[in-house]
Order: sequence, then C-alpha cells, then structure tokens
Amino acid sequence: MNWVRTAGAPVILLWRTLLAVRRSGLSWRECLVQLVELGTRSAWLVGGGLAFFGTVMVTIAYAQARKYTGNITVVGPAYFELMVREFAPLTAALLAASRGGAGSSAELAAMSVNEQIEALELSAADPLAELVAPRVVASVIALPCLVTIGLVCSTLAAVATVTYVFGADGRSFMDARFVGLGAISCAATKAVLCGLYIPAAASVRGLRARNGAAAVGEAVTAGVVDATMGCLLIDFAVAAAFLLMGV
Amino acid sequence: MSAALAPVRLLGATGLRALRGAGALALVFARTLLHLPRLNLRELGRAVVLFGYQSLPLTLGVGTLIGATVVLQAGVYAEKFGARQYTGWAAGYSVLWEFGPMLMGLVMAARIGARNAAELALLKVNGQIEGLRGISLDPFGLLVAPRVVASALCVTALASLTFFVAIGWEAISAYFTLHLPVRTFLGSFADMIHLGDLLGGLIKSFAFGAAISLVSTAAGLQAEGGARGVGRAAASAVVRSCAAIFVLDFLLTPPLARLLG
Repeated sequence: MNWVRTAGAPVILLWRTLLAVRRSGLSWRECLVQLVELGTRSAWLVGGGLAFFGTVMVTIAYAQARKYTGNITVVGPAYFELMVREFAPLTAALLAASRGGAGSSAELAAMSVNEQIEALELSAADPLAELVAPRVVASVIALPCLVTIGLVCSTLAAVATVTYVFGADGRSFMDARFVGLGAISCAATKAVLCGLYIPAAASVRGLRARNGAAAVGEAVTAGVVDATMGCLLIDFAVAAAFLLMGV
Repeated sequence: MSAALAPVRLLGATGLRALRGAGALALVFARTLLHLPRLNLRELGRAVVLFGYQSLPLTLGVGTLIGATVVLQAGVYAEKFGARQYTGWAAGYSVLWEFGPMLMGLVMAARIGARNAAELALLKVNGQIEGLRGISLDPFGLLVAPRVVASALCVTALASLTFFVAIGWEAISAYFTLHLPVRTFLGSFADMIHLGDLLGGLIKSFAFGAAISLVSTAAGLQAEGGARGVGRAAASAVVRSCAAIFVLDFLLTPPLARLLG
C-alpha cells in the first residue's frame, strides 16, 4: 500500500500542476532556467557515464564472443538496437534522476523549511505553477535530448573500443539494421514518461519537507530513491507494453 | 584583459575544485584505513542496520525489476535468433557482470550516499562534529570509518541478494514470456556461468559500495550553512557517487573480465 502511495503521489502532483498552470499560466523564462539546470548541467554526467558504459558493454561482449562465437562483430547490430531501445533511455533516466531529482528536491525542501513556499502562497502565487511546472516542462524536453547525447557517446565509445582495442570492425556496433520505428518509439516513450516522473517525484518530497535541516536531507534521499525506482518501473512497464503490442 | 583571462580563471577554478575534492577523498580514505583496527562496533552495527537492513525492501524491488526487464529484452533476441535455450546464460551473465552491480550501485548511491551525506552534513552544520573534537573524540574513528566499512559490506551483501532475486525473476519471466521451462533456463545458467562471473560482480559491488561511502562522507563533511547546505551536500553526494560508479565500472571491468571472465 505504501508503494502504491509513493508511486501515485507524483502522478497526482502532475495532475494538480496541470490544473495550476491552466489557472495561473506558465513562466517560460523559468522553464529555460530549469532547462539549463536539468539539461545542460546533466549532459556531462550522462555523456561521460554512457561513454564509459558503452566501453564496458563491448568489453563484456568481447569476453563472451571470444569464448563462444569467436567473432565480436556478429553481436554489433543487436547491441545497437538494445542500446537504442533499453540501455540509453534507462541509464540516461537514472543519471538524470540522480542529478535533477537530487537538485530539485534539495532546492524545494530548503525553500519549504525556510517557509519560502508559504511566502509565495501569501503573495497569491501558486507554487505548483511557479516551481513545479517549469521543472516538469524542462525535464520532458531535456530527457529525450539527454538520451540522444548518451546514445551518441556510448556508440562512439563502443565503436572506438572495438576498432582500436580489439582490432575488429567497430562499425557493426552502429549498424542500425534492427532499429525500426518500434525501438525508437519505445525509447521515446520511456524518455518522456521518465521526464515527467523525475521532477514530480522530487517535488513531492521537497514540498513535504518540514522542520529544519534534517528534513532537507531526508527529502533529498527519498526524492532521489523515488525518482530512481520510478524510472526502473516505467522502463519495465513500457518494455512489457511494447512486447505485448508485438513492437 | 579580464575577458581574455576568463577561460584561464575557469580552468584554474575547476582544477582547484577537483584537487580539493581529490584531497578530501584521499583524507577520508587514509583516516578510515588508520581507524580500521579499532573500529567502533556499536556504530558499525548501527550503520549496518541503517544502510543494509533498511534497504532490504528496495533491494528486493530492484532485483525484481532488473530480472523481469532483462528477460523481456533478451527474449526478443532469443526469439529472433532461435536461441531460446541460451536465455539463461545471456540474462544471467548480464545481471552478474553489469546490470546487477551497476543498477544496484546507482540505486544505493541515492539511498546510502544521500542519507550518509545528509546525516554527516547535519552534524557538521549543527557544530556536532566540532563538539566531538572538543571532548577529545575523533569523529573519523567514531562516525566515518564504521560507515565506510558498513556501506561497502552492505552494498556487497545487498548485491548478492539482488543477483539471487533477479535470476529467480528472470527464470519466472522466461517461463511466462518465452514459455521456457525453469529447468532449461537454470540449466543453461549453471552450464555456462562460472564462479568467476559471480566473483566479478561481487568485487565490483564492493568497490561501488566503498566509493559511495567515501564520496558521500567527503561531501557531507564539506557541508556549510543550514538547511540549504545539507540539501546541497546530499545532492552532490548522489551525483558524485554515480560518476564514481561509472568510472570504477570502466576501470575494473577489463582486468576482471581478463582474470575471471
């Protein structure tokens, strides 16, 4: 029951945010500020992380291919499709949840315990429209871009590793013969849903924080864990849905 | 002149920040090593409960999701290439070597890293760390060393539980999605996966756990200024822990794959 409440609270917050935006409008300037915060500042983490991840994945693939098939390039096209469909969206989402989720929950929790949220409400501003909505909009735009950046970095790293370290034809690791509309729409769905969920999960915990610095620490911990678990759950649910649809 | 020097200033500031971070990490690591022989067992027990026992439900959830998702994706290729009987090997190998340690590490960076950094930052901003020094108690011996040891041990133990749960769910998912008998799944797993594969995953998990605790401790002890400082410390602990996990994964996998794979 607790899990349902934890997973459901961000969905309810998203709905309330939508209603608040319809009432009070949306600050596009704040959206741009958040886009820089969530997108641009997470790009190095996602790009670097996925580049390392790409190298590790082909190293593992090489260790097994050497034992069983003798030819690593055979697995290249399947690896690339798996990267597009599964690894790039999931890993980029988890890193964005760490970077963006922690940052958002820390900022909102600090505002909450310092009573700045109440001050906003007293000045007739809606905290959901002013603080949550720009983060959601920025995250929905940023996450597909981060997935693309991560995919490019991991693919380049994999191609370079296979070509220069293992001395095989690395181009097979960017062979898109298995990548169809299904794989791309699966990745895009994951990116958009995680983009919606991460700031919502972080905001729920941040806005609930009360009573001093200890509450801020607890809010950050809970916000990042909720965002991370939400991404894993969304990844599984979307993968299962696409499998059931036969895509 | 000032504008021309801006990139140099930025480079210098970044370099100094990186050096300060590396220095803080090295200090935490060295002082933890020094305190290992006289570890405070009561604090170690408390940290094991905080990091390990209280993370059990999360571990079961992560293991379930990893297992089910890996089989869903592996199943597509198993059907495509007519290699259903090798699903146990492919799914098990990927969980032991990469997804188990890495995904578990990322979730624990959020759970343990943020919590450890927030708790230490709170003690720091409230002046309790200085207070401990004031009554001649070493905060490193009392607070830091037990947490580093507990975090490394807990992440390793939780990772082995994740492997077990994930492989169990893989077998169940393979039965329902690919109609692959559990016996066939576990058969290909047992035939093609060796003890070295399990060891590789556990060594990586131990390293991730140690990195999470060192990085989050350094972040927590650097905290300054009230609630905002605590939030910043917890957030930066998560980000730095995640970055450390990817770098360690990159550094450890090639030699481990050569030795054990």
